[in-house]
Amino acid sequence: MQVYLPIAEMSVDALLLLGIGFGVGWLSGLFGVGGGFLLTPLLILIGIPAPVAVASGANQTIGASVSGLIAQWRRGNVDARMGAVLLVGGFIGSGAGVQLFALLRRAGQVDLAVAIFYVVILGTVGMLMVRESVRSILRRRRTGVAAAKAHEHTWLHGLPFKMRFRKSRLYISVVPPLLVGFGIGILSAVMGVGGGFMLVPAMIYLLGMPTSVVIGTSLFQVVFVAANVTFLQAVQVGSVDIVLTLLLLAGGVVGAQFGASMGTKLRGEETRALLGMLVLSVALGLLYDLVRAPDNLFSIGALP
Amino acid sequence: MIRAVARALTLLVLLAGAARAQPAPASTPQLTADISTDRVEITTGFTGASVMVFGATERLIGAESGEDVVVVAWGPPQPTVVRRKVNVLGFWLNGPSTVFRQVPGFYAIAATRPVWQILPEETRRTARLGLDSLPLTASGSQAPAFRAALLELKQQDGRWQEYAHPVTIAGGRLFSARVSFPDTVQTGDYRIEVLLVRDERILARQALFLRVDRVGTAASIASVARVDPVVYGIVCIVLAALAGWFGSIVFRRN
Repeated sequence: MQVYLPIAEMSVDALLLLGIGFGVGWLSGLFGVGGGFLLTPLLILIGIPAPVAVASGANQTIGASVSGLIAQWRRGNVDARMGAVLLVGGFIGSGAGVQLFALLRRAGQVDLAVAIFYVVILGTVGMLMVRESVRSILRRRRTGVAAAKAHEHTWLHGLPFKMRFRKSRLYISVVPPLLVGFGIGILSAVMGVGGGFMLVPAMIYLLGMPTSVVIGTSLFQVVFVAANVTFLQAVQVGSVDIVLTLLLLAGGVVGAQFGASMGTKLRGEETRALLGMLVLSVALGLLYDLVRAPDNLFSIGALP
Repeated sequence: MIRAVARALTLLVLLAGAARAQPAPASTPQLTADISTDRVEITTGFTGASVMVFGATERLIGAESGEDVVVVAWGPPQPTVVRRKVNVLGFWLNGPSTVFRQVPGFYAIAATRPVWQILPEETRRTARLGLDSLPLTASGSQAPAFRAALLELKQQDGRWQEYAHPVTIAGGRLFSARVSFPDTVQTGDYRIEVLLVRDERILARQALFLRVDRVGTAASIASVARVDPVVYGIVCIVLAALAGWFGSIVFRRN
């Protein structure tokens, strides 16, 4: 069944979009991430123009994360204060990111920039995840227990503008969370992702937040930053396709349920290893696209 | 009273002038044509559309009489960028580009015989018949490769067509041709011209007009997004959030 996407100005098989939504939703339910990093490249692969794929990917992230946020909020797992600080950085970052995106679009380098961002970020994160999870799997094999990470004091804790985050049991400078939020905001705007897969490790390892509040707080940040990106992309680039978003979400919410019930059967380290390999393979696939000789050296596009 | 007479006189003079400028039409027109619809509607289920151009000629069409029919369709102009990929340190990225400002977003030509066989180059150029006769002037790199790439890629995605559909003749004098629009068709005013050709000359021509419009949901979404992007952005956020929230209620276990 073909459906016409009014902003992308093309018609796409609705079942294909539902299927992609389902698949990405399933993986995001399984791994507890938004899945934007898979969604945007898949959309570009089926021929959706990169600006529409990125903007609609951000829009879809809101829907995919909001139910998780509600659940975590009810359980009191959201550090609203930390979330707000992250959000300030996130808003500035996503604003800058959308400007960068518009600039790249005028220069005709959006596809390249999106691909490079994906390769570098996903490649790095994927490798770190695989390495970390393989280590902890090996460690558990040897000792029988997963080693708990000690709370370390680094130079980050010596910065000024300290603030007390009661839920996270932290008394740290607001500078690191602001920077983390800013960085994720830029990625969110350029890659069309929520950034949960980067935010979670950053919160644990850089900010030293307890794992119990990490997921909820990252969802808090992801939902609002994605909303900001959606808004800015709609106003500045005009590339949010709501029909595309809703079709993806329809498949996604169903897929997430299946994924989540399956995810409970896996161990944490195994899940992280699988997710890391998935992230890494997306990065490698995109890298291959950049280096292989193109079928046609020329491409055409409408004048931005 | 005097004014009314003056107006009538002016009208008479104008009519006389018009009559002199155009030779008096023959009792039957040499060519009559029409299209199956003057409106193509892009709905939510739009996958492309085709319209039928049909008509009749006074004399027989074909090799014996030497008369040919040409049908040509234009869409609104669409400035297009052609980019060439270059290899930098092993990576393929967009390098030099050329902007073609005055190119039709859609162009299709169909004829009983290819136009280069029946019309001299000059006529084809002025009437813009055939893809090779389109005035593709570029700013930026002038390399002919860009022009060739534009022609190739536009034909690949179906927005430019050369003899993609035949002009079929029935009974020697009735002709029909199909003009098909891909799903990526632009909205706007389209012009279809039907030409009657004999002895390397255009004997008669008739212009038909067609409008491509979004209708229904697709139209309202696109117009809100363009006219009021702030409202559209907020609606997108709210709808996505509601969809996610609704999903979590429907599938809540326990």
